[in-house]
Parts: sequence; C-alpha cells; structure tokens
Amino acid sequence: MESDEGWGRGDGRAVYVKLIEHVENHPGVLIFKISFQDVRRIDISFASETIVEVARRYRGKKGFCLIDPCNADLLENLDAAAQRKEQPIMMDSDGVFRIVGALVSQGLRDALNFAMSRPTARVSDYVCSAKDVSLTNASNKFRQLWEKGFLLRREEVAESGGMEFTYFRIA
Amino acid sequence: MRIEIKFPSTWVDASTFEKSLLAGIGPHEASAPEVVFTFPVGCKVMIEVGVRLLSLVNQLDTCCKRIRLEFEEGEEGAMGYLNRMGFFDHLSGNVDVEPSRPLYSGAAMYAGGSSRLVEIAEINATSRDKLLPKKLTEVLTRTYNTRDDLVEFENATWTIFSELIDNIFSHSETSLAGYAALQVYPRGNSLKVAVSDSGLGIMDTLRPTLESELPSLASLSDTDLLVEVFRQGLSRHGSDRGCGLKGSAQKAMKYNAELDVRLPKIRVLLTPGQEGYKPNIAHCYKDLALLWGTHICFTFRLDSE
Repeated sequence: MESDEGWGRGDGRAVYVKLIEHVENHPGVLIFKISFQDVRRIDISFASETIVEVARRYRGKKGFCLIDPCNADLLENLDAAAQRKEQPIMMDSDGVFRIVGALVSQGLRDALNFAMSRPTARVSDYVCSAKDVSLTNASNKFRQLWEKGFLLRREEVAESGGMEFTYFRIA
Repeated sequence: MRIEIKFPSTWVDASTFEKSLLAGIGPHEASAPEVVFTFPVGCKVMIEVGVRLLSLVNQLDTCCKRIRLEFEEGEEGAMGYLNRMGFFDHLSGNVDVEPSRPLYSGAAMYAGGSSRLVEIAEINATSRDKLLPKKLTEVLTRTYNTRDDLVEFENATWTIFSELIDNIFSHSETSLAGYAALQVYPRGNSLKVAVSDSGLGIMDTLRPTLESELPSLASLSDTDLLVEVFRQGLSRHGSDRGCGLKGSAQKAMKYNAELDVRLPKIRVLLTPGQEGYKPNIAHCYKDLALLWGTHICFTFRLDSE
C-alpha cells in the first residue's frame, strides 16, 4: 500500500497482485499471518479485492489469519466484504480465535467449535466426543468446513494403516 | 426552440430543483437546442443542487446544446456561492455565463480554508485525487468534534465517501467527470455530502442482469429495487460485488443520515428507520426531467448522536 489507507477496487487489485506474489513465493507455507498494524483504515471494496479475494482463491489449500487488533470500522468493512463473498476470515487475538465474514451454519457449528478448540482435529476424535454423530455424518461436516474455508486439512496415515484427514484451524 | 428554466428567489434544494426542471419540457429534449438557466435575485443554491446542475449542464453541452446561465444578482448571489464551491472551475468552456464568468476562481483562492465545506472535486478515472475521501471526512469530523465516538464516526464516514466515489470509477462507464462536494449548514442543522456521476444509472447497470441472476427481483419497481441495492448490496457483477453501496448505507443509517438518490428519471429519498432503509418509508418521485447518471446526497443532522 502506498499510504495507510486502502481505498477502492483499483488500489485493492494492485495490492492483490502483490499478495499473490508473496504467497506464490512461499509455496511451503500453509497459513499466512496478516497484520493491519500500520493500516489506518480500508474500505469495503478494498477489503474485498485484497485479503478476502486472496483467501477465497486459496480456500482449502492455504489459510490467512489476522493477528493484530483492528479498529472497529476496519473490522466491520472486512466482515462486510467477507460475508458478501461467503469467505470466513480467521482472527487470532493472543490465542483468542474469532471468525469474521461467512457465517457457519447451525449444523456445522459444533464441529467447528471442536476443531477451533484444539490445534488439530480428527473426525474419529469428534465422533467420540459428540453425541449421536455417525462417522459418516461427522466426516461430511468436517469436509464441508474445509470446503467453505473454515478449516484446512492434510492427509495422514491413520492408526489403522489407512489414510485419514487431519483438520486444523487457520491460526 | 429555447428552454428556459428559472429557479425561484429562495433556497433551491433538490426538490425545488426538480420542480424547476419540470416547469417546461426537460432540458435533454432533442427539440430544444438551447437551454437557459436563470438565477433571480435572492436565489440560493444548496450543495447537492450545485453538483447536480454542474453534471446536467456538462451533459447538455456534450449534446451540442447552447447553454446559458443567467445570474441576475451577479456575483453577489448564487453565482458567488457557486464560484466559491468551484462550480465554474469544472463547467464546460462552451457554456455562456451572464453577466460574465467570474474573473477568478473562489475555490482556487480559498481552497481548504473553510471548515464548513469541501469544494467541488472532479472524479474521473484518469485523475484520481487519493485524498478526496479524507478531505471530506476531515470537515465532517471538525464539525462533529465533540462526539464521544469521533474516531469511529470518522472511519465510518470515510468508508461512505470512499465507496461512493470508487463506485463512480468502477461503474459509471462514461467520459464525463463525476463530482463530489460537502457543505455544512449550521442554521439548517445539517451537513450534506453530494456525489454525482453522469454515467449509466444504477438501474441501467443492474436490470440487464437481474433476469438471469436474480429473477425474483426483476419485477420490482425502481424504488423497491433501489432500496434492495442499499439493503442487500446488489450488483451487476454478480453476488461477489455490490457490498460497497450496502455497506455505505449501513454506516449512514447508524448515524441517522438521510439518503437522496437521483437516477435518470426518478428520485428516491430514504429515511433510516430502526431496521434500516425500507421501501415503505422511501419517498419516490417519478417521471422527472432526464438527468443522466447517479446522484447521491447524504444528509447528516448536526445534533444527531
């Protein structure tokens, strides 16, 4: 950014290109921490063209997490832009996690809370902790959370020897 | 045939402006190659009228009409105010001004010197004043400097201005410039921000896509559809875009600002209720004189908290 204010789609697209370049230059990184510390304010269009669009582009493959407190208006604009694109954006305030943007549905909320409360989560662990949730049902929930951008996942060897997904929060 | 539009000898707000335009045939009518706007003694122009008039006159000029502005009070009346606001700085050179154009630009001479106004700024894609939203915001925050929530208010109004102005860059699709200005009216207990462009109106950019993308809204009247633009954030670019106007409106509602939207042939006034702008508390004026583009005015009350 040329100044401490992010204004409009034009400026947003220019910053978007730089964000993509940065992400592509770090292929091994799954989660990028983003700070608005030196940013005074951004409008909704700028937010939409930058962090929200980048998060959406890499949804399911990489995640983006805000790490510094933002002023209320900046957060509101980011929330509005992310909601519009149905993109969740993670915020980490000293270990307190919050999601702005896309809202999680009632049916997925419990599974998301489970995943957010620990560094990694397996479907089998969730089934053990939850009532009346089948393995298939739980697996669908976590897959949906991953597809919608709330979580990331990686494939690992399960205890049984087969392959399973381990899900993790974007923080 | 010549069209004569005479404004009254009083304050000319947006409603009075429309009545004056409708007194005869509309200035855009093809049968009228000449249009004269008369400002009698005692005529005073509100900021949104100044900005809309500027857009209208420049539009008419591109249609090769002969335009004349007659100021019967000379520089003492409406002409002096418009000069201070920078009206003549952006007025097409083809337009005749009686008695004569001001010798110097009041806006250029006193620019930034008042805490109660931001002179008319031109908005076009080739020359973007990156500081414009900030300039508008600074006057606003100086006016409301006793507010407890000043920082939040400042940021919210900055967003409103940013989105409105950026919308002109992104959507208006015209070579004609857009304009923005701000004026505080202490006696009227209000502050007005006016933004105008001469491109495609919101409806003209939105309606072609509605049938395919949002058919449930295609049958709405222009008034109801306009309200939905500000409530849902509709956009011709599909569900991804369109949140800027909605976001601006939401922030304006928080501060109880009234919203006046003039489109090519209609004008809608939105007054915020507890649940935001709604069709049933929107006033709509139809069959107005043709005025290309989208012209928005937010009015904040000075005593609102």
